[in-house]
Amino acid sequence: MSSKTDSEIKKGIQIKTKLRLTLALSSLGLAFMCALGIIGMNRALTTITYLGETKLQAALNVGQMQGSLLKLGGINKAVLEYKDVSGEYRLFEGLKADRDDVLLDLKEAWERYEKLPKDEEEQQLWASLVDSSKLWEKADKKLDAPLIELSARHDKATHEKLMFQYEGFLRDIKTGETYMTDGVSGLYRYLSEASVKASNDAIAVVEQSKKQMIGLAAGIILFSLLFGILMSRSIHKPLTRMIEAIGDIEKNDDFSRRVEVQTHDEIGVTIVAFNGMIAKIEASSAQLRQKTNDIQTMLQNMPQGILTIVDGGLIHSEYSAYLETILETDKIAGRQVMDLLFANSNLGADTLSQVEAVGGACIGEDIMNFEFNSHLMVTEFEKTMADGRVKSLELSWSAITDDSDMIVSLMLCVRDVTELRKLAAEAGEQKRELEIIGEILAVNQEKFHEFISGSTQFVEENQALIKNTDTLQTDVISQLFRNMHTIKGNARTYALQHLTNVVHEAEQTYDDLRQNPELEWNQTALLEQLQSVADLLAKYEKINEVTLGRKGPGRRGSVERYLMVDKEHIHDTLLQLESANMSSMHDLVEAHKAVRRTLRLLGTEHIGETLDGVFESLPSLAAELGKEAPVISIEEHGYVVRGQVSGILKNVFMHLLRNSMDHGLEAAEVRTAKGKSAAGNIKLELGSEGGQFTIRLGDDGKGLALGRIRRIALEKNMLPNGEQSSDEEVAKVIFQAGFSTAEAVTEVSGRGVGMDAVQDFVAREGGSIHFEFVDNAEGADFRQFQTVVSLPDKFAVHIEA
Amino acid sequence: MAQILVVDDSSTVRNEVCDFLKANGLTVTSAVDGKDGLDKLRADPSIKLVVSDVNMPNMDGLTMAEKIRGELRNTTVNIIMLTTENSPSMKERGKAAGIKGWIVKPFSGAAVIATFKKLAV
Repeated sequence: MSSKTDSEIKKGIQIKTKLRLTLALSSLGLAFMCALGIIGMNRALTTITYLGETKLQAALNVGQMQGSLLKLGGINKAVLEYKDVSGEYRLFEGLKADRDDVLLDLKEAWERYEKLPKDEEEQQLWASLVDSSKLWEKADKKLDAPLIELSARHDKATHEKLMFQYEGFLRDIKTGETYMTDGVSGLYRYLSEASVKASNDAIAVVEQSKKQMIGLAAGIILFSLLFGILMSRSIHKPLTRMIEAIGDIEKNDDFSRRVEVQTHDEIGVTIVAFNGMIAKIEASSAQLRQKTNDIQTMLQNMPQGILTIVDGGLIHSEYSAYLETILETDKIAGRQVMDLLFANSNLGADTLSQVEAVGGACIGEDIMNFEFNSHLMVTEFEKTMADGRVKSLELSWSAITDDSDMIVSLMLCVRDVTELRKLAAEAGEQKRELEIIGEILAVNQEKFHEFISGSTQFVEENQALIKNTDTLQTDVISQLFRNMHTIKGNARTYALQHLTNVVHEAEQTYDDLRQNPELEWNQTALLEQLQSVADLLAKYEKINEVTLGRKGPGRRGSVERYLMVDKEHIHDTLLQLESANMSSMHDLVEAHKAVRRTLRLLGTEHIGETLDGVFESLPSLAAELGKEAPVISIEEHGYVVRGQVSGILKNVFMHLLRNSMDHGLEAAEVRTAKGKSAAGNIKLELGSEGGQFTIRLGDDGKGLALGRIRRIALEKNMLPNGEQSSDEEVAKVIFQAGFSTAEAVTEVSGRGVGMDAVQDFVAREGGSIHFEFVDNAEGADFRQFQTVVSLPDKFAVHIEA
Repeated sequence: MAQILVVDDSSTVRNEVCDFLKANGLTVTSAVDGKDGLDKLRADPSIKLVVSDVNMPNMDGLTMAEKIRGELRNTTVNIIMLTTENSPSMKERGKAAGIKGWIVKPFSGAAVIATFKKLAV
């Protein structure tokens, strides 16, 4: 992992610098080598120049001098050899000319040499030579005169005399000549040696320079090689590491890896940039993973079916899990959408081919095609499942596009609206029922009863007429029409709108048949239509009798007085139903409940429904008392109770049942000991006695503790006949205010305010409450009994069992 | 001079589409088949949008579209096909002929009018 900061990294040596350094050092070495060469050459050149300009020149001149001296010696010798040849003066003339030339040469060489620079040793040799020369020159000059004489024509004597003279001069010259010749030779020797030495010096300088240059070149080459290798390693190594790391990252998709920054050069900077890029890729791939996970989680958990359709009408492998629940299959991915969704649907072949064409027209095309065609997409249909259940499915379509607005797939949301549609249908049914109730309530009970029985008769008559007629007969049709027309007229008079509509349809059919005798006489269809009229009539009748409790012709104004629901209430409930959002389950359920409440208030219900809440509280009460939950049985005998007394009944029976649990029913072990079932039995029985509606409550507990009640009542002086009071009289004490037998005031009962309050409730509704003994054990401490609650008969309706 | 050319062999469809487009303030001309459509398009260079049926006598809509791009060298006119079915081979030919859109019959005016107006200028 990189732990170095940017500023730290920038401090390093850059590759650029390394390359420049290598180049600069190599150039420097090369330059140094050249300089050294030039210096060596210069040194050699100086030596050679010195040699050429001084010693060699000097040697040359001195050599010339030596030669001249030698020639002079030769000329002198020649002069002597020719001394005997008289008259040969011409020869002497020639020798004289030669001698002059040689002397001139000598003089020239002498003068040239004189000007040349000389070293110390040379200078000494030269000085002694100059001394010798003076002596020699003086003697030598004497030779000129006899030689000139000899050149002229002489007689023999003169010649001999001259020759003698010359010979004499030659002897005189001998010593000077020897000094001179020795001096010149010594100088020449010295100069030759000095030249050789100088030339050797020059060679040595060149040799040395050559060696130096070879050494230097080798050094420079070696240094360049080493430095180059070092530099290239310092560049190559991190590069290789980076390339390996990049390869690894690519191979393993491991974006959490980083390349370590070891150098501070351009590669280091590149690695830092690369690491930064990888970090970004890691972040965005993590983001992508997170998004993918989110989408996956959504698809797994949303209570909606979602799928996408790709080219060819195929379903993409990613779809919401709930889709499997809706379609009841897990074979979804890769299926044809037409097959998966619309097989066994209520859609016609034409609609299906349209949907298929629309899918084809959209996928892979411009988004405008979705706008063009989405109105043809199916939005709701019914599908029959494998087990025959029919599901209502709602579809919503949308297009998924790419960056260039081309549709890549179609997204489809599938909602199971079966329950919703069922509820909506129920709500419709409830609405109808409420409207019918409203219609019925507006009609006097007696008149309504007359209307129903009259209409039923007409319908039955028509049924018989249709059944007994095989072909179209004018008189039959007229009769059918007249009957139906009468029903319609009456229904309209009483503003029974729903019925009027249905009856009107039947009447219209008969009228058509009456007007066009050529029409088909379809017995089955006619009977079916008539049945719908009969059914609706029956519905009206049932609502009137059961829901509204107006069975029979009734007594004028009897029920309406007790109706706790006015028309306005029904109207409000209807409004609520109508305004309910049919696509919202919650709205529908709420509306549904509201209607139930309304219907309950104006309708009837089974006592079990009324006391449902009370019964439900008994098991926990039993547990508190350490008893078994009781078994409750109800005998309705065809009676249902009116909704408006349900509140009173709940209160009354809450008290009675609690008393029964607390005082009557024994604990399980006591009961088993007595041979009874562990759980107590409580029984409710509905009936009619003396024109009143009665509810009898009994249990198989220990019975009424008459002995104790009698004792307490006597103590409190509550019995009118004292000790002589009958069991019935004693039992009545229980209903008096302030009476309680409980030895301890329990949580459940026993505050002495129970039964008198219960009696008040019942009395307020015009009813009464009393105990009835069901055994013959007069005077016993415990007696089996029933509590009888009597209420005016308007609080119950007797329906068929 | 018209903005839109409607090509359909069924006079009912042709009139319905034309009337609808006219009612929405567009100028329209019509042709009874692909051949007629090519002639009309050749005669009126101001046409910006061709709305054509697929199956027609003499020359079908797809062939007409191909000829518009090929013979007529008209690469700018927008072409939209009215169809009842859709096969991959049709779509491929349509793509090659630069067809902008496919409208499955029955045609919904509300759904197409805004786009048609854009394509017809």
